[in-house]
Amino acid sequence: MIDAIRVEGLCKSFRYSTIPKRATLKDMVVRTMRLQRGVAVVEALKNVTFSVERGSTLGIIGRNGSGKSTLMRILAGILKPDAGLVETAGMVAPLLALGGGFHPDLSGREGARIELFTLGMDPAQVDRLMDQIIAFSEIGDFIDAPVRVYSAGMLMRLAFSVAICVNPTVLLLDEILAVGDEGFARKCHETILDFRAHGRTTVIVTHAAEIVESWCDTALWLDRGEVSGLGDPRAVVAAYHALTGQSLPEPAQYPFDLPKTAGLHGVD
Amino acid sequence: MVTTLQSLTVYFRYRWLVYELVLRDLSLRYRGSALGFAWTLLNPLLFMAIYTLVFAVYLRVDIVNYPAFLLSGLVPWSWLAGALGQGTSSIVDGRMYVGKTLFPMQILVIVPVLSNGINFIFSLPILFLFVIVLHVHLGPSLVMLPLIILIQGAMVLGAATLAATFNVFYRDLQQLILYILTVLFYMTPIFYIPSLVPEKFQFLIVWNPFAALIACYHAILYAGTFPSVYDLVFSLVFSILLLGVARGCFVRYREAFSEYV
Repeated sequence: MIDAIRVEGLCKSFRYSTIPKRATLKDMVVRTMRLQRGVAVVEALKNVTFSVERGSTLGIIGRNGSGKSTLMRILAGILKPDAGLVETAGMVAPLLALGGGFHPDLSGREGARIELFTLGMDPAQVDRLMDQIIAFSEIGDFIDAPVRVYSAGMLMRLAFSVAICVNPTVLLLDEILAVGDEGFARKCHETILDFRAHGRTTVIVTHAAEIVESWCDTALWLDRGEVSGLGDPRAVVAAYHALTGQSLPEPAQYPFDLPKTAGLHGVD
Repeated sequence: MVTTLQSLTVYFRYRWLVYELVLRDLSLRYRGSALGFAWTLLNPLLFMAIYTLVFAVYLRVDIVNYPAFLLSGLVPWSWLAGALGQGTSSIVDGRMYVGKTLFPMQILVIVPVLSNGINFIFSLPILFLFVIVLHVHLGPSLVMLPLIILIQGAMVLGAATLAATFNVFYRDLQQLILYILTVLFYMTPIFYIPSLVPEKFQFLIVWNPFAALIACYHAILYAGTFPSVYDLVFSLVFSILLLGVARGCFVRYREAFSEYV
């Protein structure tokens, strides 16, 4: 089996300023004169190693601030790693933040066009994909309304539709499925299964244990930037919950009942 | 130099994105306005009229064919001022793209540079018409115009990239840029000729790269001659250096953008 994603010894740290974000020129001058440097270093990812096979789904779990989103941004190619190797096969479509990539004053259609061009499409492809995106998202006439009037669910529908319709080799979803309604969540799941059957790879960051357990082939648990668990989703989720002191939630806590997909593990 | 050329490949790779955004910027500017594109021309024409009245009539400044002189400097200046004014806030204004999508930040900056540049190029035929009516003999030096436009494009892109990068960290620049542009405008011979400046202050002209650039336009569109080697080489070298420095600063700080926008 060929790997769609290969990550070896990945390290990433951030130097962030302790100076207030909205610093003015005056603040800067004052600080420079007082010789305050005001820089702290945070190691977001420490020696992370894993790989994801083509046609499989990886779920990433971990507490807030454990480096999940940083890892996703590196996989997407938005951030560069400080050290280590990151390889991804083919086109990567990231869906990393709700509303990310959509200008509030532009219509959903205009935003989707910009997103498609960002993913490297040419005008002919964009025109061809637009109808598909509008149909898939089911947002109807809202496609021509400015994005600022969209609900979180509608925004997610549109963003997900764009990402899925470009048919990427790797799809990255960072904690955005939770805002969709039951019907669309089911549609997302079916799409990802179909996607997977066509040899495509999905990486999902989520706090919903059900998604990891029933959608994913493998789970990765990040704790303070390090890999704490990697392997069978149920085992990893159980270990994560054991350590964080959470009991396993009720099976149908997520706003819909998922079809049990245990049998799919045999696909690979 | 090599990295500057490498950075140009990003613009090529995302040419359709640039095309879409420039078109949108241009259509947004004229949407719902009765005069549309005419506004681009009215601005320099208005200033030409005011400056002619104040300086040529009231103050009796003696410059041959003063309206043509004004117009041939004001029109290119409005590209620089427009692009820099809009470009400074471009990365901050595009915060929804920063750090969350693959949208390359350079694109945010080049869009106002190109849309203002296209406005400038579209107003050139009317500029030609005006200076011809005002008895300027446009000569073979017109073939140099595309080169001068390229030099200005690089200069404006460099300045806008630098300003947009620092504006992410110090928003004061957004306000300050308007004052900087005003100061630069008065320090650049656009409504006066360099020979009017006293010997003591000549260095302010000699070392001003924007003065060299505008002098190239004056040569071609007002005097009908070839630009001086000094003006040409100075503006060319400055534009390449500025683009290189701006690119360096941009690359160094871009990963921090998402924390600050």
